[in-house]
Amino acid sequence: MDRKLAVAHGPSGTVRTATNIRNFCIIAHIDHGKTTLSDRLLEFTRTVAQRQLGEQMLDAMDLERERGITIKMHPVTLEYPAHDGKLYELNFIDTPGHVDFSSEVTRSLAACEGALLVIDAAQGIEAQTLANYHLALDQNLTIIPVINKIDLPAADPERVKKQIEELLIIEASDAILCSAKEGIGIEEILEAIVARIPPPRGQDAFVRGLVFDAQFDPYRGVVSYVRVTDGTLRAGTRFMSMNQKKVYEATEVGVFKPDMRKTQALDVGNVGYVIANIKSLGDIDVGDTLTEASNPAPEPLAGYKPIVPMVYCGLYPNEGVEVSELRDALEKLALNDSALHYEPESSIALGFGFRCGFLGLLHMEIVQERLERNYNLDLIATSPSVVFRVTMTDGTIENIDNPAKLPARDRIALMEEPFVKATVITPPEYVGAIMELTQNRRGTLANMEYVADGRVILTYEMPLIEVIIDYFDQLKSRTKGYASLDYEVIGYREGDLVKLEILLHGDPVDALSSIVAREKAANRGRGLVEKLKELIPRQMFDVPIQAAIGGKVVARETVSAMRKNVLAKCYGGDISRKRKLLEKQKAGKERMKRVGTVDLPQEAFMAVLRLDEN
Amino acid sequence: MPVEPQRTPSRIARSHGGAYVHLPFCPYVCPYCDFAKWPLRRSSATRYLEALHAEIASAPAFEARTLFFGGGTPNTYDAATLAELVRALAARFSPDGFAETTVEMNPDPELCTPATFAAYRAAGIDRVSFGVQSFVESELATLGRRHAPGDVGRAFAIARDAGIDNLSLDLIFGIPGQTVESWDASLAAALALEPAHVSTYGLTIEDGTPFAEWFARTPGAFATNDLEAELYAHGIDTLVRAGFEHYEISNFARPGRRCAHNANYWANGEYVGLGVGAASYLAGVRSTHVRELDAYVDAALAGGPIPGESERLEGAARLGEAAMLGLRTAEGVDIAAFAERYGVDFHDFYRPVLTEMRAMGTIDATSSHVRLTRRGRFVANDVCGAFVGFAG
Repeated sequence: MDRKLAVAHGPSGTVRTATNIRNFCIIAHIDHGKTTLSDRLLEFTRTVAQRQLGEQMLDAMDLERERGITIKMHPVTLEYPAHDGKLYELNFIDTPGHVDFSSEVTRSLAACEGALLVIDAAQGIEAQTLANYHLALDQNLTIIPVINKIDLPAADPERVKKQIEELLIIEASDAILCSAKEGIGIEEILEAIVARIPPPRGQDAFVRGLVFDAQFDPYRGVVSYVRVTDGTLRAGTRFMSMNQKKVYEATEVGVFKPDMRKTQALDVGNVGYVIANIKSLGDIDVGDTLTEASNPAPEPLAGYKPIVPMVYCGLYPNEGVEVSELRDALEKLALNDSALHYEPESSIALGFGFRCGFLGLLHMEIVQERLERNYNLDLIATSPSVVFRVTMTDGTIENIDNPAKLPARDRIALMEEPFVKATVITPPEYVGAIMELTQNRRGTLANMEYVADGRVILTYEMPLIEVIIDYFDQLKSRTKGYASLDYEVIGYREGDLVKLEILLHGDPVDALSSIVAREKAANRGRGLVEKLKELIPRQMFDVPIQAAIGGKVVARETVSAMRKNVLAKCYGGDISRKRKLLEKQKAGKERMKRVGTVDLPQEAFMAVLRLDEN
Repeated sequence: MPVEPQRTPSRIARSHGGAYVHLPFCPYVCPYCDFAKWPLRRSSATRYLEALHAEIASAPAFEARTLFFGGGTPNTYDAATLAELVRALAARFSPDGFAETTVEMNPDPELCTPATFAAYRAAGIDRVSFGVQSFVESELATLGRRHAPGDVGRAFAIARDAGIDNLSLDLIFGIPGQTVESWDASLAAALALEPAHVSTYGLTIEDGTPFAEWFARTPGAFATNDLEAELYAHGIDTLVRAGFEHYEISNFARPGRRCAHNANYWANGEYVGLGVGAASYLAGVRSTHVRELDAYVDAALAGGPIPGESERLEGAARLGEAAMLGLRTAEGVDIAAFAERYGVDFHDFYRPVLTEMRAMGTIDATSSHVRLTRRGRFVANDVCGAFVGFAG
């Protein structure tokens, strides 16, 4: 049963079916061709002309293009005259393509009745194919498998079909063969959307709309993206957000065709937008349910979960940047990124800055790069951390997202850390390398499954901190890029954890401390100290670097003093040249952060990400 | 009411001013050098000389006490040509004759004949600085130098025979392949010639030179920072032990034999620079002529202003530059002279820098002088950079 339509306690009312509407999304592992297929669907239905499409692509943020990921595009309505002679309204809701954003995928899925599951004909099923498939199953969506890139020389659709039958428990005969690049199979996909995905059905007695996304527009305030599941959401009516219990007037509603187009109302099954003089993204929760204020629905739609940042790091202005500039930039970024959390913190080493929370590592990197590029800020980021849960001896519980804030050992009764279920799909020849890597990261193998065509699915349970510290890059490099990874948080588990401190000149540098498993702490300390020795340039004096656990030094190195740094020549009296060389050198130093008397490069604070400890 | 003439800084400097003339041609080009220089072509050299005379003729009124021919390789021009230049320069800048006239020379026997030195002597050239670089054959080959180690002694002898005894030589340390032993051999060979003055320059890898490409490919071929420091220290110790004053970071002189021309640079004095790429410091303005040969020659021959760059430093930047220069010398910054010339108390203005540098043992500060310690000389860039970058 479609639980979105379940109305357990509602008043009796007629159920309406929007027979000419289909709501769908596309889910895929990264690089399996989601974006190209999306473009073809838009083109085929003449929603967007080919020329415009190019421009639209160019408008996409540089960062996302460079990384080969599209985080998300806004929803769009396609008009499709099907072979049955009827005109259908196909609402296509995009999903982000990275594990960091799986909570957003879930929300997008919740707004649909069906999903195209795109699988690369040469690569086959990867970790995110599986993860997305399970998310779609959880939402009771009709799944249409699409085997893409059949034009590739290495394409092996038969093999992929076998994988589909074995791993996804879907009839492989349902799969559509497609080459989005060559335009093969597009019409078949559109027909399948019409024929296989059920039309939306909803109650008439009340109004409910799922807010599946929201954007901030500097001129119009928050634009909520809404899927109406029940009733009719009319412009000019007052509505209520059922989780936050706030009442607004819908000043404008409309649809995406593909630009925002104003309409009188959004009906059952419609996907569109609502503008309601909401000033901040914080005032509306994505996942919230909108209902009529005068006739509220008996209960909200299921599936609302607040966004919880998983990864934290400190962001500090480097020399020459004011903390107020960083605050302004974070405020602006957060206007359109409700997953970005930040609050002021201060560090002895780095001064005033912000502790920022992110969905994951990619999200963290994207935010940092945006701050640096779009806002031209020179920043220092500290090593990423997770939220440790600390039970104190007096029974209180503290959530520690900054290792420097870990209470003294004797006040701690119990420490817990977030664990994930990590799924790795790989060709069998890399199983040994993956096992070695993952065991080193405190992973325990929960399951290993050999699939028919010679792929292996490894399921691990491991601490999240071990995943975010360079695990993905290591996995890729050890498997020549063949292994794919997906993970989901499964809860907190007790850990024997200690604070590893780094001391320069005998003084602990709070921004360099980390929380690590006791069994790994000494090794990590040695690795960090060695890496810091590489990263810290020679200064005018010796710089001893130490790693300590509970006050006991476990590793030590020294960056010996720069022995000679002299401009020897007179350059025939060209004093300006000599002065400029010194100024250049001095400017280089100023990009570093002075901690005590030591000049540290930005990379030093991220040294832990650059260890090759395996 | 009679106005007492003001003792302006420029007046003080003028009485010690210098004239620098750049002669950019070389018989061959060394792969480490990034000075403005070109391989010798007779026609270019002739035209360049005409341009130089034109620039001398139209140069601003200026009184110079010293004259320095640098290059390039000045002795690619014959002695008569240099003599003619000295005459023209003296007429323009020093009617009573220069107190010190230096020529940089390549010790190659073909370029250093007895006749050359005799003509120099007659023209009033009284100081020669030989570009020796090393007395080790393999190191000379690495540097692309074509003279033989023995050529230097021969050149010294005939220069002395001609009556020129104020002889200096340049050595380079940090040459790929150089060791403390080979450096010691070069120093010993240099001392055996009893020069009046020695300059030791750490090899600098300059962008755009063949050495820069070599370094990019094979950084391991070059001296480590530690070895460079060891070589520099060994040079200082050896020369000081032999009776030389280490009077500037790279320069050593027997008592009374410091280079007056260079000393004027470090005293932040004024000087006029003539020729392609030459630098001047006049009336508070530092300027550098264009480094393109044709652009210089065309402009000079046209009698127009020579294109190039110029800047007038004010405030902290001006002070920083004066500090940078003063700190290079053994005497350091003279506090009283600094206060008189710039109207600033050095100790007050640079207090935070001085405190930090003293704590690191790089600066020795008394009430009358602030100078680099021995350690400070080894990291002079960091120390001077702290003063240059200090805004007050």
